[in-house]
Amino acid sequence: MALYILRRLLSVALVLVAVSILVFAVTSILPANVAYLILGQFADPAQVKILEAKLGLNDPIWQQYLRWAWAVVQGNLGESMLMNRPIAPLLFEAISRSLVLASVSFVLIAVIGIGLGVAAALRHGRPLDHGVSVGTYLGIAVPEFFWAIVVILVFASWLGWLPSSGYEPLATGFWIWLQHLVAPTITLVFAHLAHVSRLTRSSMIEVLQSPYVTAARAKGLPERIVVMRHALRNALLPTITVLALDFGRLMGGIVVIETVFAYPGLGRLIVFSIQNRDLPTLQASILVVAAIYAIANLLADLAYAWLNPRIRYDRSIA
Amino acid sequence: MTDRSPEPGQGNALRSAAVASPGAVGSVPDAPAPGATASAAFERAPRKPMSAQLKAGLLITGVIVLLGLLAPWISPHPWDTISIKTRFLPPSTTYWLGTDDYGRDVFSRLLMGTRLSLAMGISATLISLAIGVPIGLAAGYFRGRTDELLMRGADVLMAVPPIMLGLLVLAVTPPAIWKTAVAVGLVYVPPIARVTRSVTLSLATEDFIQAARARAEGPAWILFREILPNAWPALIVEASLRVTYAILLGSALSFLGLGAQPPSSDWGLMIAEARAFIDTAPWIALSPGIAMCLLVVGINLIGDGARERLDPRLKTRTAKG
Amino acid sequence: MKRLMAAIGLSLGLGLGLATIPQSASAQGTLRVAVGTTLNQLDPALTTLGDEYVYVHLVFNGLSRIDHDLNVHPDLAESWSASSDLMTWTFKLRKGVKFHHGRELDSGDVVATVRRILDPATGSRARSNLTMIKDVEAVDPLTVRFTLSLPYAGFADIFGDRQMRILARDRLDTVSRQPVGTGPFMFKSWAPGDRMELVKNPDYFENGQPKLDAVTIRIIPESAARLAALDSGAIHIVWNLAYEAVEKLKTSKSVRVDSVPTATWDGLILHNGRPPFNDVRVRRALAMTIDKTALVELAIFGQGSPTLSPIPRSHPYFNKSVPIKGPDIAGAKKLLAEAGFPNGFDITMQVPQEREQRVRLGVAIRDMARAAGIRISVERVPFASYAANVAGKAQMYIDGYFARPTLDTALYPFFHSEGSWNKQLWLYSDKRADDLLERARKTNDDAQRKALFTEVQAVLADTVPGIIAYNAAHVNGVRNEVRDFKSTPMQWLELKNVSLAR
Repeated sequence: MALYILRRLLSVALVLVAVSILVFAVTSILPANVAYLILGQFADPAQVKILEAKLGLNDPIWQQYLRWAWAVVQGNLGESMLMNRPIAPLLFEAISRSLVLASVSFVLIAVIGIGLGVAAALRHGRPLDHGVSVGTYLGIAVPEFFWAIVVILVFASWLGWLPSSGYEPLATGFWIWLQHLVAPTITLVFAHLAHVSRLTRSSMIEVLQSPYVTAARAKGLPERIVVMRHALRNALLPTITVLALDFGRLMGGIVVIETVFAYPGLGRLIVFSIQNRDLPTLQASILVVAAIYAIANLLADLAYAWLNPRIRYDRSIA
Repeated sequence: MTDRSPEPGQGNALRSAAVASPGAVGSVPDAPAPGATASAAFERAPRKPMSAQLKAGLLITGVIVLLGLLAPWISPHPWDTISIKTRFLPPSTTYWLGTDDYGRDVFSRLLMGTRLSLAMGISATLISLAIGVPIGLAAGYFRGRTDELLMRGADVLMAVPPIMLGLLVLAVTPPAIWKTAVAVGLVYVPPIARVTRSVTLSLATEDFIQAARARAEGPAWILFREILPNAWPALIVEASLRVTYAILLGSALSFLGLGAQPPSSDWGLMIAEARAFIDTAPWIALSPGIAMCLLVVGINLIGDGARERLDPRLKTRTAKG
Repeated sequence: MKRLMAAIGLSLGLGLGLATIPQSASAQGTLRVAVGTTLNQLDPALTTLGDEYVYVHLVFNGLSRIDHDLNVHPDLAESWSASSDLMTWTFKLRKGVKFHHGRELDSGDVVATVRRILDPATGSRARSNLTMIKDVEAVDPLTVRFTLSLPYAGFADIFGDRQMRILARDRLDTVSRQPVGTGPFMFKSWAPGDRMELVKNPDYFENGQPKLDAVTIRIIPESAARLAALDSGAIHIVWNLAYEAVEKLKTSKSVRVDSVPTATWDGLILHNGRPPFNDVRVRRALAMTIDKTALVELAIFGQGSPTLSPIPRSHPYFNKSVPIKGPDIAGAKKLLAEAGFPNGFDITMQVPQEREQRVRLGVAIRDMARAAGIRISVERVPFASYAANVAGKAQMYIDGYFARPTLDTALYPFFHSEGSWNKQLWLYSDKRADDLLERARKTNDDAQRKALFTEVQAVLADTVPGIIAYNAAHVNGVRNEVRDFKSTPMQWLELKNVSLAR
């Protein structure tokens, strides 16, 4: 097992290197110039040249890349070209805020999604089942930013229950901080519920029809035990898969959600850095996102293996 | 962002076996093993009547496509003429979905936007297919080093959430809607490649392929004349779902300003522009959202219905149960 | 299962119930302001955004200052005088002004600040404002002398501008991380993209000011989010309120809209050096398709007034005799035909992506120009791309400028053929305009200046370097508990006298 983890970590590292090259390659074709952004539209070309030299924008691309990669390996993510500050603290603060949002949403998606999926499976074919299907499906049929706007419209404008701006630091008070999390969380959860609930539902239906469960019932076990201990554990296996992928989807989703709710997390940082051509911040951010996603996948694999020993080492399944 | 297919990420070997078809809408098994047999079954089985699902999907999508195609002729008002006097009018008999901040008719703009969304979805998917299918075929047929290399490449692209990849590509160039279609197409190449690869893998062991090899047919011939025609059904199903993802991702990119340009009536752009007026004139933002929902639902119903027809074995796992 | 559902329902209910808990009051006397764009620069010499100017004005002072009526008053300099040829200027500094780190202001700080701005390596945008300075020297600890290379009447006025604020000469290296100024508020902390904390300067040289204990500047890019925060009380002042929100707030019981006309303008820049706009007839034709009153409605929701030039309607020198006419499509078509475009022409226009009102302006102009056969396609570009590819290069694009402290700085650099902004804008060159602007610089006589500036406006209206659509009002959203706040035409926030009601 340890060997397996090691091998996976190595492959994660390789992928990250490839991603970093990809990101660097793509962003280096930018037509616009950061120097002009810093100096303003009508900068004297001579001043621009001085600034470009200062920022090292004149060296060949591969040189810039190697310099950057070497620094990253040492833990230095560079300095934001616009804000003249080190990126690392900026980035990690943004990530911590995004992770809060993503984690809370993730847990809720898992809990509510599985709950709804099981409930629908148990009431298979009846109104609740249909209701859940349609309701959750709406969540994924429409882009997240639309739901974000609807949430703002309904909960902030019409009902006045929630603030429509996304963030107050924990320091200003626990309840206030929580209050600001509710709207973006609701949106994220609603937009991703269907993946989990549908999968759980159909997986559960299948398991409930399996001989294994029939046998358990025939033994006279109470229905609750049959469901919770026997059926659920098997039904959840595919769900774990989807949950891991959903984490990646969540990270994509936060880009738009954070933008609409003005939540100062990683998604918003990425949008900012793209709008302002702040290359170092963009490169560092995407690299970190890829790393988080890779680790999430690894954890999901481990969780899956832990839950289902039969699959654990059989890598021949491709 | 709304990439709904449970694409196996890096190192998913453990889990791919268990991702049998989840039956969730929009999810496609990594190994739709019944690829060849599906099409064979398709040919052998008697013609089934179309399920209600498929009928509903075709109806909804058909109506929307038709409206989009006929848009220039059936729009009640011009979609881009500014008129101060008619700004922010709520829905009425003259302006069915009201007017926007420039006084333009929302319904007419919606119709014109339909064409953009459909074009985005279809062209992006075609690009994904054009690049992804050959890659998948090569990986699944030749296996070994080629397979490793191609799939590693796919893994790298899938290491970043689709929307961020799209943002990255579009950040380096002045935005235009065709560039968004290209970006979205590129983003979805890896999943298409993977699905094609899975189908190819299972098909490659079939008898008729062995027979072709025995006849000394070249790989290109085998790939394009034997495997591909049998792989199409699964690919079509996947492609139809990709269209919906492409529409959703494309609209998100337009929403963030990296797609269509004003005064275009691209749905994502419409919603972005309407955000400022959401509480005074909600109809401007709600209309494109609902339209998008209908289109995505329609296409998904077609996809699900088609999959049902093509593979009876999957029947037990569809939404209807 | 039921219990699971109950748990979920309970937590959701709890979450929503939390919403009714009111915002807790932060430290009494802390004013919270919301701006829309993050600050990229803390160094005043390098600031370029309106949002940055808000911070600059609170933390720093200039030699002179510009008040609400656009009059120039002493600030750090208690008086100044010029030689009769207007080429030597002497400023006497106020005694006893303390920087935030404790040291008293002296002439060395002024010299260091000015030299720094003049140094090309600094990269300050304001350098072009000071090109007439030949030398600056500290005569004694409280006196600074400037020697100019040409006579300049409004020299003292320039120092009221944002980038010219005086820095501490021993804190120049750290100004981007720990800025030290003389202003009413001291820098405490800055979290980029999130918020800046400022605290009261207890040693501020104007007695009794400031009244607030602290100011927090919050960055909230979403206009709707700013508005919601204002509504709920999380924010006291929204700087540069979106024009579309003005209507909405009219009925609010807790928020008022404070607006002031300014000389800030938005307009369409035309490249006078390239076809088709190198032909004045084409420029005139385009101008004839424009309905400026409609533009004011569409772009800024009526919060402004049409104009001929950067000089606003409210200014005493505004040329009332030049009519701002409605569109004349027939005339436009005729001119186009004369110029060789009987069927109109196709052209691309750039608009800045992050400035919604300018995008609206562009879209509106596109629609208006269509009537005469000028078919424009709109291209939204981010600001960075603008600078590299658009300014001074594109055939036509939308842009806008904050009010300048003086008429000369508002017009000369923009319209004189040697003007620094002109070269990167419309590349306009007209002998009459040049002559009028030069003469206006050299005279201190009000009547003469009025005549000259009035005539310049007529020349500009006739030769159409570009189409300056309107002067926009500066609007702030202010909660009722904020006392004594007035918006200023320079668009920064004057918070020295402001206090919060308990």
